[in-house]
Amino acid sequence: MDFGYASSQQALRQEVRDFIAENMTQDVVEEVHGRGEDGRGPLMNDLFKKIGERGWLGISWPKEYGGQGGDRLTQYLVEEEFARVGLSVGGGGSGAPAIMAAGTQEQKDYYIPRIIKGEISFAQGFTEPSGGADLASLQCRAVEDGDEFVINGQKIYTSSAHVSTHLYLMARTDPEAPKHRGISIFLLPMDTPGITVRPLWTIQNDPPAPEGTTYGTPRTNETFYENVRIPKSSLLGELNMGWYVGAMGLNLDRVGASRYLISVRRDEDIVNLAKSDSSEYLNIRNNPTVRDKVAEMWIEAQVCRLMTWRSMSIVESGGNFTYEGSAEKVWAPEHGLRATEAYAQMLGPYGQLLNTSANNVESGLFAHNLLGAFQSGINHGSVQIMRDQVARRGLGLPRG
Amino acid sequence: MDVLLSENEEMIRNLAREFLEGECPTSLVRDMEKDELGYSQDMWKKVASELGWTALSLPEQYGGLGEPLQFLGLIFEEVGRHMAPVPLLSTMVSALTIARDGSEAMKSDILPQVASGDLILTYSFQETDPRLIESAVQTTATADGGDFVLNGKKLFVDNFNQADKLIVTAKTGKGLTLFLVDTGSAGISTEKEVPTAKDKQFAVIFDNVKVSADSVIGEIDKGWTTAEYMLDLGAVFYASQMCGAARKDFEMGLEYSKNRVAFGRPIGAFQSVAHMLADAVMYIDGGELLTREAIWKMDQDQPYQVEVSQAKAFCNDKLQHVTVYSQMIHGGMGFMMEFDIHLWYRRVASWSMRMGSTFEHRARVAQGILDTPGNVELGMIQALPA
Ligand SMILES: Cc1cc2nc3c(=O)[nH]c(=O)nc-3n(C[C@H](O)[C@H](O)[C@H](O)COP(=O)(O)OP(=O)(O)OC[C@H]3O[C@@H](n4cnc5c(N)ncnc54)[C@H](O)[C@@H]3O)c2cc1C
Repeated sequence: MDFGYASSQQALRQEVRDFIAENMTQDVVEEVHGRGEDGRGPLMNDLFKKIGERGWLGISWPKEYGGQGGDRLTQYLVEEEFARVGLSVGGGGSGAPAIMAAGTQEQKDYYIPRIIKGEISFAQGFTEPSGGADLASLQCRAVEDGDEFVINGQKIYTSSAHVSTHLYLMARTDPEAPKHRGISIFLLPMDTPGITVRPLWTIQNDPPAPEGTTYGTPRTNETFYENVRIPKSSLLGELNMGWYVGAMGLNLDRVGASRYLISVRRDEDIVNLAKSDSSEYLNIRNNPTVRDKVAEMWIEAQVCRLMTWRSMSIVESGGNFTYEGSAEKVWAPEHGLRATEAYAQMLGPYGQLLNTSANNVESGLFAHNLLGAFQSGINHGSVQIMRDQVARRGLGLPRG
Repeated sequence: MDVLLSENEEMIRNLAREFLEGECPTSLVRDMEKDELGYSQDMWKKVASELGWTALSLPEQYGGLGEPLQFLGLIFEEVGRHMAPVPLLSTMVSALTIARDGSEAMKSDILPQVASGDLILTYSFQETDPRLIESAVQTTATADGGDFVLNGKKLFVDNFNQADKLIVTAKTGKGLTLFLVDTGSAGISTEKEVPTAKDKQFAVIFDNVKVSADSVIGEIDKGWTTAEYMLDLGAVFYASQMCGAARKDFEMGLEYSKNRVAFGRPIGAFQSVAHMLADAVMYIDGGELLTREAIWKMDQDQPYQVEVSQAKAFCNDKLQHVTVYSQMIHGGMGFMMEFDIHLWYRRVASWSMRMGSTFEHRARVAQGILDTPGNVELGMIQALPA
């Protein structure tokens, strides 16, 4: 057992912090925050170049693919620091782990270095209007035609499709096979003819959530596919084995610094605000009932951190997590929701005031979080489905 | 950072588990609940002299093995898992307190006897106002020539009837002082308490009990930090025991849910049952991680008090849910005296109220994060305010 950082890791952490303090200037922050609409701007591109020069992009990816060949833990440490300011430097994202595991040499050589540099980003086209929990029942079709596949169908909640360069798509390739065995995954450029992206505005769009909103997702999309023709080389992994490739990628993507930080950033914020002498926050520090709740939430947040550390430890020791990743994905979002509700409540009437309101506190951050906190319990595997995985895969319970 | 058990740690745990699986059937646990003395002298001899549990984390120069507290924490998880009826926790909390602040003479006298299993110890702090704060101590120690005279009443004292000596916290002129007192001293009387755990607990009354000056642990009037250390050890080792007990209790519920059939299928196939079990395992994992982290911090000489309170508060709160879930999964059977599962249920409940309630420990966590200067950050060092 070792619950600490080595001194070299501490030093690295400080180095990253200093870098962020120096380079995350207000104009960069504004560009990062606005990226939901416009994609990556020139300041971000510059920043990523600098981060790359420090060797902090894709630390744990192999050198031959443009990574640093470092360990997962070091990557985690750096990721965590950048995630605090809303930047993702892991080189992860839904596409990368699956491409690394199931891709052809050509696919790996092409995609991985570009993903790490941030030149390629994937939107994930899995969910369809008929339902996301039962993902394997998806209907979108890909039909072989000579050297190509032809795709027809519809996806929903295709987040970032409007700002991504590529799409990571699940489609049905064998409608006769049992539902899990007739699905394949494709990698294709977003600008392939036949793809239409339409915005879906979320309840966090009006008024727009302030910078630093933990669950700020103002927009997602529905995407339509009409005779979209892609070469056969777009297939990721074996034909009809896409379910297994996708599930593995999702699972790998569930652990890591950014997901855990989404759920606990507000815990640090509320405590640090409560330490100020502003009258809006006095009820927190001085009220024993509220202090009890703050402590309860803080302890839960520590459990979020430790569950993440556990998954990291398992990955680092070369093991597989059978249920630990799912456990994290239940515990962290549910904690995030409990904490978000509690903190808004602690602010009393201030807790309801949005960004555009007079007399709001912290630009309405806590109210805006309240509008979005529950959605992290839905996306990327709902907490109900994740609990099922803990029970069935982790505990070996029979299916209902 | 690597929060998993090392090979060495797994070996320690497995050895303890194998031993207790063989030697500690629930029939023994039940017998000891009814027994006047309440512990197995045969098992005590084996765990002390053959397995070395009492020597494990004591310093080498006093007959110990000098291993980290982390190892002892794993032993307590197993003690909790098997509800082993031995006075290990009260003995080790007291001995480690002496190892930290006792005089050279006291350490050389007491610790080798503890290491060999020849001396059983316990400790006392709480009184009718059971809060774990200095001002709640009303027992007095009055100087009398070179000696002290104790008067007062301690409650919730574990294993007093089994112990040779006990640590007493008492008010002296300007503060708190700790004494190591023979349990057979003239002027001591007891009242029997019956906790839901049905292990041995007593109120101990001191009526002009004379103790010599060399029984003082640490400095006169400056005993609060020593007492805090003692209470933190008690809290965190109780948390370890609760984790071990809750995990076993949960495993029994899990097993039962796979075998018990209702409406034509195993009850574990029903989502409401499966999700209770999923929550249970997450609670246990969480409690275990928090507890192991707190003990690790103690071993590293880093501030550990916030971590100890995090662990005990979480275990108090969540591990009771775990045992309640298991009771529910067992249906009416769980309520029957004849069936074993209540043995764990009753203990986890009882232990959750010892060495600090959920609320007391949360209050301490709140102090650590709200009443200290500077910003907080998860995973960083967080000391209590001075
Ligand atoms: C902000 C946001 C971003 C998203 N981004 C993407 C993206 O980029 N790409 C993508 O492909 N998808 C994305 N999703 C979709 C997301 O993965 C789905 O919303 C999710 O899988 C649930 O699917 P659904 O909305 O169709 O709900 P349904 O599948 O209809 O489920 C409704 C409710 O029923 C519960 N339920 C269903 N089955 C069971 C069961 N067996 N046991 C217990 N409860 C059950 C669910 O947990 C849920 O609470 C996003 C969603 C959100 C909210």
